[in-house]
Amino acid sequence: MFELTLQALYSGLLTGTYYALVALGLALVFGTMKIINLAHGELVLLAAYVAYTAESQWSLNPLAAIPFAMVVVSVVAIAVYLLIDRIKKDRELNSLILTFGIGIILTNFVLLVWSADIRSTTTPWFQQAVVFGDLLFSSRSEILFFLISVALVGATWWWLSQTWYGRATRAVSSDRKAAMLMGVNPRQTEILSFVVASILATVAGIAIFTGQVIEPSLGHALTVKAFIITVLAGMGSIPGVLLGAILIGVVEALTVTYFSSSLQELTGMVLFLVVLLLRPQGLFGFGVRRG
Amino acid sequence: MGEYLKTIAIAGAITLIGVVGAHAEDILLGTHVPLTGKLARVGTGMHEGIAVAVDIFNRDNKGRYTVKLITINDETNPAKAVAAVEKMSSQGVVALTGGYGSNIIGPASEAANKAGLVYITSGGVAPGLTQRGHKGFFRINNTQGYSRAMMGLLKDMKVKKVSILYNTKEATSDLAKTVDKDLSGQGIDVVLHAFDGGTSDFKPLINKVKLRDKSDAIGMVAYENDYVAILKAGKVLKPNVKAVVGVWSLATSKMNGEFHDLVQTVYGTSMLPYPAEFTSPEAKDFAETYKKLHGKEPDYLGQFGYVQTKLLLDAILRARKAGTLSTGGLAQEVRKTDSDTLIGQVKFNENGDNPLFSHRMGQHQGEKVVLVWPENAATGDKQFPSTPWSE
Repeated sequence: MFELTLQALYSGLLTGTYYALVALGLALVFGTMKIINLAHGELVLLAAYVAYTAESQWSLNPLAAIPFAMVVVSVVAIAVYLLIDRIKKDRELNSLILTFGIGIILTNFVLLVWSADIRSTTTPWFQQAVVFGDLLFSSRSEILFFLISVALVGATWWWLSQTWYGRATRAVSSDRKAAMLMGVNPRQTEILSFVVASILATVAGIAIFTGQVIEPSLGHALTVKAFIITVLAGMGSIPGVLLGAILIGVVEALTVTYFSSSLQELTGMVLFLVVLLLRPQGLFGFGVRRG
Repeated sequence: MGEYLKTIAIAGAITLIGVVGAHAEDILLGTHVPLTGKLARVGTGMHEGIAVAVDIFNRDNKGRYTVKLITINDETNPAKAVAAVEKMSSQGVVALTGGYGSNIIGPASEAANKAGLVYITSGGVAPGLTQRGHKGFFRINNTQGYSRAMMGLLKDMKVKKVSILYNTKEATSDLAKTVDKDLSGQGIDVVLHAFDGGTSDFKPLINKVKLRDKSDAIGMVAYENDYVAILKAGKVLKPNVKAVVGVWSLATSKMNGEFHDLVQTVYGTSMLPYPAEFTSPEAKDFAETYKKLHGKEPDYLGQFGYVQTKLLLDAILRARKAGTLSTGGLAQEVRKTDSDTLIGQVKFNENGDNPLFSHRMGQHQGEKVVLVWPENAATGDKQFPSTPWSE
């Protein structure tokens, strides 16, 4: 039982960091612009398919495909932003409908271009086992993207809190007009947020392609998972995304080990609902101050 | 001049009447398949087979009958499948072929039953589908056929304990429970592990098989993405089992090509070996037409889609000749089917099921899929014990 529990905790940790990678881009846009990009999962998926094309057509290592995927996903993300920017009324609500529609278009685009077949990397390096003390088992892909994920969470947090553009993004989020008076260009700042989110989505896409299986219908499930983690973490809390994602990953893995694998999605949702009930601002979010 | 124009007009009219008179009779056939959504790949595969059957029928009946296929994408959505059936019914289709997923076929065939339309499929194996008393519902394959093949192979291997990992979807749950019942009846110890379709990391589950179950074999009753994720977890944890056995969508040329290392020595249901060997004239015709229409080698989905549609078209032709097509005689004609097809003998019972259906088991061996069960259909020996992670 000890071995099972240890492996479950380890698997949960690795799965959680992969969830965090998927959720980070959504959390960034949600936290800074109050926009829930429901096409975020499809952007992650798009990056994964670009990596697939790079590997299958040009024999490139999926990691070497990251720059290409970043360009493609960033262009699409900017296009999504420009469409959102055209919304003049009830932007937060109408952007939901718009991005949901864009998600459907992207899914069907992926289906048309890459067909409905399942794909995954064929590079053996990513699938080889890494074993610690004959107790903890994982693949190289999981270890690699665990490290990348932690680094990216740190980098995003640093960017938001320590750089001028990061602070400008937060300023626009707090009060758009006041930020403009301080010389911040809100449009430029928001585009930058979308580009950073698309870079995060790209890395998440490559992680999925190397560690799991991709198919056109996956994007929506990724968005839902990312949204749950973002809300669970608390709006605007970047380190909270990592911790919230690991919490979900560990709870799911323990559910599989002690109960049934068929209950793992359910326990994730129950955890989400319990947190919402007890802490509506999320695990690491702040309550709204009223003056 | 007036006479000249009159002559031309009459000649034109006669020609037109002649053309109309010589025109083949159109038969509208409907199909709803998932071309997008979760089941897009299998739906597309089945549709390719349906298109082959229609193409061959139109070629063989040129000048007499032309089947016009109406296809509606049900988007892997039961409500849209029902709407598709209702729409095609109003368009005047004589019958329906297709459908994928028991949860979609159920309501769609219910709508077809209400509209008095014959519905034939190979896309849903849930036992309940043929127990509703629908006179016009027919299915060429079933859970028992898959279970028989899986159980036969495991029995031949003389394994004592099997861990079965199954997707919680209706068809996979039903099949897993049938296999459990059949294997337990043979004295084989079975441990069932249900998993949600959204599961992406199978390591905790495989670890249970490895440390707790200590089974001789792993059974997988699932879909392609699940197989790949399970096998990836198996390669990391390397449970000490003698064989990994799956069912549909596994022992295919596509899986061998795309996930070559991952599927080596894994077993799955397969009607044909790979490279495919088409020996009968009908099989050769099917393979050539398939390649002509779709530019690739046929797979098992195309084969099933072809067989169900061919049987339906044969029955339509018989009913048309007997003059009963428009008076509800089609269901009776389908029920008379007793045919040796590309998937074996098809003969429907009173519920519209095909009790003669029995699958075969293939094993990935290098670049090939070798048929290893039953003995009379085997094209080679099985590599046993062996798993993709065996040294």
